Amino acid sequence: MALWFFRGLGRQVVTTRYPSVLDPWTAALPTPPSFVPSRLTTELVHRLVESCPSGALRQEDRELVLDVGACTACGTCQRIAPDAITASGVFELAATSCAHLVKRVPIRGGDK
Amino acid sequence: MTVPGHEEDRLAARLAGDIHGLFGRSLHIRTIDTGSCAVCESEIRLLLAPHYDLHRLGLFFTPAPRHADLLMVTGPVVRVMELPLAKTYAAMPEPKLVVAVGACPLGGVFDEDEIVRGRLDQVLPVDVFIPGCPPSPLALLQGLLVAVGRLAEKVGALSFVAGEETSK
Amino acid sequence: MSAPLLWAAGIAWILAAGLGLGASRRVFLWAAGAVSAAGGAACLVGGVLLTMRGRATATVLGAGDVVGRLDLRAAPLASAFLVLLGLVTLAIGCYAPRYHKPGRGTAAYLCAYNLAALASLAVLVAGDVTTFLIAWESMTLACSLVILRHWRRAGVREGAFLFLALGEVGFAMVVAAFVILATHAHSLDLSVIAAHAQSIPIGWRSTAFVLALLGFGFKAGLAPLHIWLPAAHPVAPADGSAYLSGLVIKLGVYGVMLFGFELLGHGPVWWGLLVMALGAFSALIGILYAVVERDLKRFLAYSSVENVGIIMTSVGASMTFSYYHQPVLGAFLLLVALYHVVNHGTYKTLLFLEAGVVEHASGIRDLDRLGGLVHHMRASSVISLVGTLGIAALPPLNGFVSEWMLFEGLFQGFRVHSHVVGVLILIAAATIGLTAGLAVLAFARAFGIAFLGMPRSAEAARATETGQPVLGPGLLAAACVALGVGAPAVLVALDHVVRGVTGVQLRPVLLVSNLTVIPGHTNFSGFSPTYLAVFLVAVTVVPIAIYAASRPRGATQRVPVWDGGLMSYRARMQYTATTFSNPVRVTFQRLYRPDIHIDRASDDPAGSSGPVHYRTKVQPIFEQYLYRPIARFVKAFARLLQPIQSGDVNQYLLYILVVLVVAYLVYAW
Repeated sequence: MALWFFRGLGRQVVTTRYPSVLDPWTAALPTPPSFVPSRLTTELVHRLVESCPSGALRQEDRELVLDVGACTACGTCQRIAPDAITASGVFELAATSCAHLVKRVPIRGGDK
Repeated sequence: MTVPGHEEDRLAARLAGDIHGLFGRSLHIRTIDTGSCAVCESEIRLLLAPHYDLHRLGLFFTPAPRHADLLMVTGPVVRVMELPLAKTYAAMPEPKLVVAVGACPLGGVFDEDEIVRGRLDQVLPVDVFIPGCPPSPLALLQGLLVAVGRLAEKVGALSFVAGEETSK
Repeated sequence: MSAPLLWAAGIAWILAAGLGLGASRRVFLWAAGAVSAAGGAACLVGGVLLTMRGRATATVLGAGDVVGRLDLRAAPLASAFLVLLGLVTLAIGCYAPRYHKPGRGTAAYLCAYNLAALASLAVLVAGDVTTFLIAWESMTLACSLVILRHWRRAGVREGAFLFLALGEVGFAMVVAAFVILATHAHSLDLSVIAAHAQSIPIGWRSTAFVLALLGFGFKAGLAPLHIWLPAAHPVAPADGSAYLSGLVIKLGVYGVMLFGFELLGHGPVWWGLLVMALGAFSALIGILYAVVERDLKRFLAYSSVENVGIIMTSVGASMTFSYYHQPVLGAFLLLVALYHVVNHGTYKTLLFLEAGVVEHASGIRDLDRLGGLVHHMRASSVISLVGTLGIAALPPLNGFVSEWMLFEGLFQGFRVHSHVVGVLILIAAATIGLTAGLAVLAFARAFGIAFLGMPRSAEAARATETGQPVLGPGLLAAACVALGVGAPAVLVALDHVVRGVTGVQLRPVLLVSNLTVIPGHTNFSGFSPTYLAVFLVAVTVVPIAIYAASRPRGATQRVPVWDGGLMSYRARMQYTATTFSNPVRVTFQRLYRPDIHIDRASDDPAGSSGPVHYRTKVQPIFEQYLYRPIARFVKAFARLLQPIQSGDVNQYLLYILVVLVVAYLVYAW
């Protein structure tokens, strides 16, 4: 039998399944943002909502609502507020319902 | 948007079990482009490349909707594509699944206007949404396997708040 | 028992002709149709009874030497044709009252049609030469009146003229053939001529045979003598065309068979080979022109040419086999020819009647503008489908059985002890094979384009079945199925006929175990049409029954046909008849020499765009290269002789003087 078969077994590479260990380059994939609630201010949120080219961000009461489905991971919001927003690194985003893709982040940074 | 209740959860779980039994090991996919920029199509096409290799998972592409189990829709659903989309969906025999791929059919990028519908779930009942612009082939693979019940959905439990337990 | 029935049929048709004259009123129209159908039924039963008898009987009407006397003879050879005559007139009798509208034109037409039927009956039961010739000419004249029903329309007078002209040329040749035989046999009676056949010198017999072959070939539609068929059939009313194709051309075949098998005795081998060659040529030419034809009725006319070719191939092969001391195969192929006569008469009549239904329902004969008729004309579609399956020779119908038998007979050409002739028989078989394949293509095209799919024009979309005749064609469809599935019974009857004609006892080497047909020799092949039909029905019905019984009880979803998700599927996106037959048109373009015109808005690829007009026309090569030169020569010769008829009285007086002097001199010596 070919050596690669045993090598694969040893490395736990199972070819009929979704990979259990992801390749290292997946860490560099563009992903939706993660927010730091304490650094979000109302004014910043207003600017972020206006700047999102895809309309994935909106403000509701005291919460910033991110529609993960609409997010194109362009990085615009991260460039505007790099200390409040980081890349989440999540690219396995499949959801069985729209509701699971709507994420609410409380605005705790004040009104500035 | 409503949160599913207990009864609906139970039914969903049973349906998921049926779907897994039917499609878990063999699924035929029909893709349809309702006006996308074709980058999602490139990513879907990469699924057949040796690195990702869709066939090893028992998933296949087919052009004929009569043979298809799952309809993979890209693009923001332009209005002139609504009729072909409806015809394709009607031509698929039951049971069938619908997957929305990319940010466009999920309401991103294009707002609803006289050319574009914007959201796929206004036109068809969607089973799985795969965000991304474009979603990488691994994301597509994960989405398809979620659709057939071989993988569990991850994003529902995440909060996208930096530093918290349930955010990556 | 058959003779009274045939008399009854003749009287019924005279009566129907009389009633038909009053067909300006509806009741007379229906009465004429009913009586004509009754006559047909009587003729059918009489013919069937006559086949079982296997011997000839003679009757004489009136007295006198040549004039005033009708010699009638009910012979076994004519019995198969009598069966066909009865079947065709029965169906047309049921069809005509619903097809025609009451009026003076219809009255004249019905009178002419019934007289044509009477004349055909007389041709088949003629016992001597004069009766035959009078009946033949009457039939030709009556049929030309039938064609001239709508004489004011375009093309009708040309069609009738061609029919009459070629019919008269053929008649002249037939008269010459009969005169040769009657002179040598010193009698006008057909039985006496047949008895004296071998004593006539072979040169005269060969001349008579060639004259008869060509003369009857004009009527039968043997290529290249067939050009009246595509001209006359489209312009005659549907039941007239059905009668022409169903019966009249078979009378030409009857004439050839009469000369070849009865009146001339045994002849040299080239008789059979000539008939076979003409038959194979005719079959191929007929179907090649049929495949590229747009007009539904002209298409069916060319298909008749093809089938007459098949029958003649069988006749010719029969004569060849008999010459080479294979009497069983000779008799077998004669039986096949007679069987194919009956089969073709049945389904061709059916198809012409259905073409009439389609023409009345939609007003168009052009295949490229029909389509989708199956949705609103269910019964007609089913009946046409039976006829199409029959003529395309698909199992389990009658066309399949007769063509299978023909092929099996031809494939046994190796039993002939001459290599050359064996190869020629094989070439004929190959030609018929090509013909059969093209026939399937042609009829799939005709039925599919006309009945299936979407309507290609508004008239086709409006076509409905109400008021259209169904009984007549339906009877013929049932007859097609019966002739196919009940082939063993039919073959028993035809075996009697063949025994009466050739003297060969075919039964033990034709039907084994009562239901299996074998081609003359047990070590060659065999099949059972009855078992095949049962098998085909079972193979269709049993899986459907299993499915229906075990189907999940949930609701069935009906969704439209998957058309690629197109925004609107238009009728113009379908195949047309022209495009469907394009591969054949391109392959055989040296034969067709199509005249192609393409009109574009601009030849520059980047120029203005607009509709492209593509016109292609098949050249009629027989008219161009055979008939027109002969006609031109005859005209030139006549112009040469014109000075004789100068109109000058003095010249005519000179003629009288010259003739008197010459007659005196001749008499003096």
